[in-house]
Amino acid sequence: MQFEVLARCKTTRARVCRMKLAHGVTMLPTFMPVATQAAIKGLTAEQVDSLGVSLLLNNTYHLNLRPGLQVLNEAGGAHKFQGWQRNLLTDSGGFQLVSLSKFTTITEEGALFSSPFTGEPTMLTPEESILIQHTIGADIIMQLDDVVSSLTVGPRVEEAMERSVRWLDRCIARHEASGKTTTQNLFAIIQGGLDPVLRDKCLDEMTKRKDGVAGYAIGGLSGGEEKDIFWKIIKQCAEKLPEDRPRYSMGIGFAEDLLVCVALGVDMADCVFPTRTARFGVALTHGGPINLRLSKHAVDLNPIDPDCPCPTCKDGTSRAILHHTVTHETSAAHALTLHNITFQAQVMGRARTAIMEGTFPEYLLSFFKQYFGDNGYPEWCVNALRTVGVDLLREGGKVISGSGAKWEYAED
Amino acid sequence: MAMTTTGTVNEMIMSSVFTLTTPLSRRFGPRLGQLLSKRSGTPDQVIETPSFVTSTSRGVVPHLSRDHHRATKAIRWANVPFETFLEHNPPVPTLLTGANPMHNFLGFVPGQHLLSLCIRDPADGREMPPNGNKHTSAYCLRGVRKVSPENWRTYVEACQPDMVVAMYDQPFTDPPYSQKRLTKSIERTSAWLADLLLSLQSSQSSRHRPLVLVQMAGGTNIAARKAFSTNLTDILYGKEADAIAPLTCLDEGVFGYTFDLVPLRQSLDPTTPDSPTPTADPTLPDPVPSDVSTQSCVQTTQLIPFIQASLSSLPTTKIRVTHTARSPHEILRLIQDVGIDIFDAHWAQKAADVGVALDFQFPVPKHGATTRRNGKRDLGHNLYHSQYTHDLCWMASSFSKERPCTCLACSPFSPATRIEHSIVDHDSQDPIASNTQKPSFSRAYIHHLLHTHEMSAHSLLTMHNLTILDEFFSGIRSVLSTAEGKSFFVEVDRFVDEYDETLEVFDEARLLWREVDLARGKGRLAREKSKQTQSTLGTAIQG
Ligand SMILES: [Zn+2]
Ligand SMILES: [Zn+2]
Repeated sequence: MQFEVLARCKTTRARVCRMKLAHGVTMLPTFMPVATQAAIKGLTAEQVDSLGVSLLLNNTYHLNLRPGLQVLNEAGGAHKFQGWQRNLLTDSGGFQLVSLSKFTTITEEGALFSSPFTGEPTMLTPEESILIQHTIGADIIMQLDDVVSSLTVGPRVEEAMERSVRWLDRCIARHEASGKTTTQNLFAIIQGGLDPVLRDKCLDEMTKRKDGVAGYAIGGLSGGEEKDIFWKIIKQCAEKLPEDRPRYSMGIGFAEDLLVCVALGVDMADCVFPTRTARFGVALTHGGPINLRLSKHAVDLNPIDPDCPCPTCKDGTSRAILHHTVTHETSAAHALTLHNITFQAQVMGRARTAIMEGTFPEYLLSFFKQYFGDNGYPEWCVNALRTVGVDLLREGGKVISGSGAKWEYAED
Repeated sequence: MAMTTTGTVNEMIMSSVFTLTTPLSRRFGPRLGQLLSKRSGTPDQVIETPSFVTSTSRGVVPHLSRDHHRATKAIRWANVPFETFLEHNPPVPTLLTGANPMHNFLGFVPGQHLLSLCIRDPADGREMPPNGNKHTSAYCLRGVRKVSPENWRTYVEACQPDMVVAMYDQPFTDPPYSQKRLTKSIERTSAWLADLLLSLQSSQSSRHRPLVLVQMAGGTNIAARKAFSTNLTDILYGKEADAIAPLTCLDEGVFGYTFDLVPLRQSLDPTTPDSPTPTADPTLPDPVPSDVSTQSCVQTTQLIPFIQASLSSLPTTKIRVTHTARSPHEILRLIQDVGIDIFDAHWAQKAADVGVALDFQFPVPKHGATTRRNGKRDLGHNLYHSQYTHDLCWMASSFSKERPCTCLACSPFSPATRIEHSIVDHDSQDPIASNTQKPSFSRAYIHHLLHTHEMSAHSLLTMHNLTILDEFFSGIRSVLSTAEGKSFFVEVDRFVDEYDETLEVFDEARLLWREVDLARGKGRLAREKSKQTQSTLGTAIQG
């Protein structure tokens, strides 16, 4: 990996970086769409590529089950299997093991679970996870970490953090022994729950291992914790992580979350939200999400957003025809998925431009104003951005507590 | 040999023509033709026949985003059943203004996509409330709607399609139908056709006048079918003549004849399933998705006398369209024994819904591996089957071992342009290839997508199947053009000998589709389930 910081915001901790991997350059900050099963819902690799997406996420747990490593090996890796010619990231599979399998037990050796196919006890060790990710062949691979829910408290959190550090060592060792360090880049995952002391300890330990680590992810968040705790952990981690490594915030996808994280120093994020919500008829716009299932869109002949560069809007696809087909025809889901992925890319792209041009604080102000408008700003966003020198309320405005505004998708 | 549809009448507005290159004297038998479609302000469009029309559901080609339906060159003509738009009153497409309103609303390109409108989905044979003297019953999600001749001409005038099927009286109550009912059907269909022709001629506001197709009435009664055709060509006198002047008979205003096969099959075999009733209880297992056309035991040879009866007294020069032919075998017989020019792609699109990748060719290139007990080769691959888990080949191998098919699934291209979202993005695109051909998506990949419920499987399969169907028709035309059709009969026999007509591979795919669906567990809405079981196109959106 070649990693270079191109510009820094003079007010916030936001930055623009150039990350060169085996399948080309990805400009940061960026949002990664999630292609869990080696496909973005309903789209082809070429369509996703055309949207200006240069980094995609595959899930190791799923690909290991289907199509399985033998097929991926025969195909020459996940890039070739799915026809994706740009950069790819895989997770370690650990998170899905814990969230999808009830019977997973964690031992020092690894995660013990019952095979979904045979029911036989199966062990996923840090070494095994790296081995699987080597076969998949993603440009960025993640360490196996000991995942606990962000709502877990007590000694289990510390144990998980410490084990994640030990597992990182094993992942580094396995990765370096493989000779794949030039084409595949290992990221560490910062754990420690919602406890700043544990996070600090983890940061200290993991940054010590910087030589074996190409980048850092901030894990164990976005699991239902208070937003005011969420951003504080992000801020703490981003501040302490080395300048010359990309920082990846896992599972973040709402526009306001993305921009707050970027302002706090995050470079990468991923989430299923924009593609999942598309299937339920929700289009993301700079004026907030809109639900095309609502009857008010039935005779609206305007596109979702006349200024949007996505194929759906550029073609003038009306809200009316989307309303007519949404939830009935897969093609409506495709149209909204194309739009939503473009929207996410646009939010992050505009951040890159603003940071390069030294206008990132103004971008934050104008984005939040347009996005939340009269609905009011989420209090946690106001709080978070204040700590990096941006006051969303500079020109007044309403504040609402809790996680944020009620969008159209919450109405029915 | 060329003839404009209505002589003097349409010339001023448009001069779309259907031209036959085979002898006009031949009433029944394979024909070659060319449909030249003109539309003001757009390039002329040529469709060589025999060819096909792509079916749509709720106005869209199932599974294809607009960039995909445009890049799929096989889609030249799309047929849009209008009934789903009756959910809103007035129907939303009628609210559009400007040129090419319906094309624009649905994302079709004038000059590239010929757009035809009909009221009902030709694949939907469900039982319906009776039609009246002044209305036909149509079906939409909010229930049954009545459409009057006046409604229909208003909708047509507002939508400005290239072609329209005149409103007709097709009973969808329990067959068989009495003589009296069929007489009524003939009278109504004639009257409604006259009404549409009259309004299209008197309409000054419309810059564009659609070509009119007429559905051939008479059911499975030979005499009734003949009577309807005679009705069309009878020279009218008195008030009736005044009503359609300057036309002298209804047929003069007609561009072509259409035959919906679903009601014919239902009439011939009352056990033919109609569109099944949706599963009311979402906790019950899904019924295996059925298909009206493939499950009927009515043979093509049983249908042919009725189609011939309709055509026996009509000019041979006009285009002949059928809907829901169930297999390439049936298509070939209808070309060979009747001389049908246009078929719909319903069966090939339905194959994409259930995971079948078509892999066949006409003429049969060489004898291939037989896979059926009956010694026949399958028309395609049931990509659900585990034999494709490791199969990294492109979808169609009978087509060519050296060259993949030209669809975007088998011959994908890296994007010609990519959206730049920031001022530094050009740097990220530097060494990346643009607009270059990429390796084909493999059977193994699509097998994987089917088993993981990824909608992309159906997008790829739809593009592929339509392209294979296009190659099939292209093969038919080339055989017909080279040897005066003599070898066509030989090639049809070879095709029938080679490929399995029982479509067992489709049935197997449907069963595996069901299995995968059950394995996926609960949590899908009853509505989504019913969508999958209907004979109409499309699969449920995966939650
Ligand atoms: Zn858009
Ligand atoms: Zn193909």
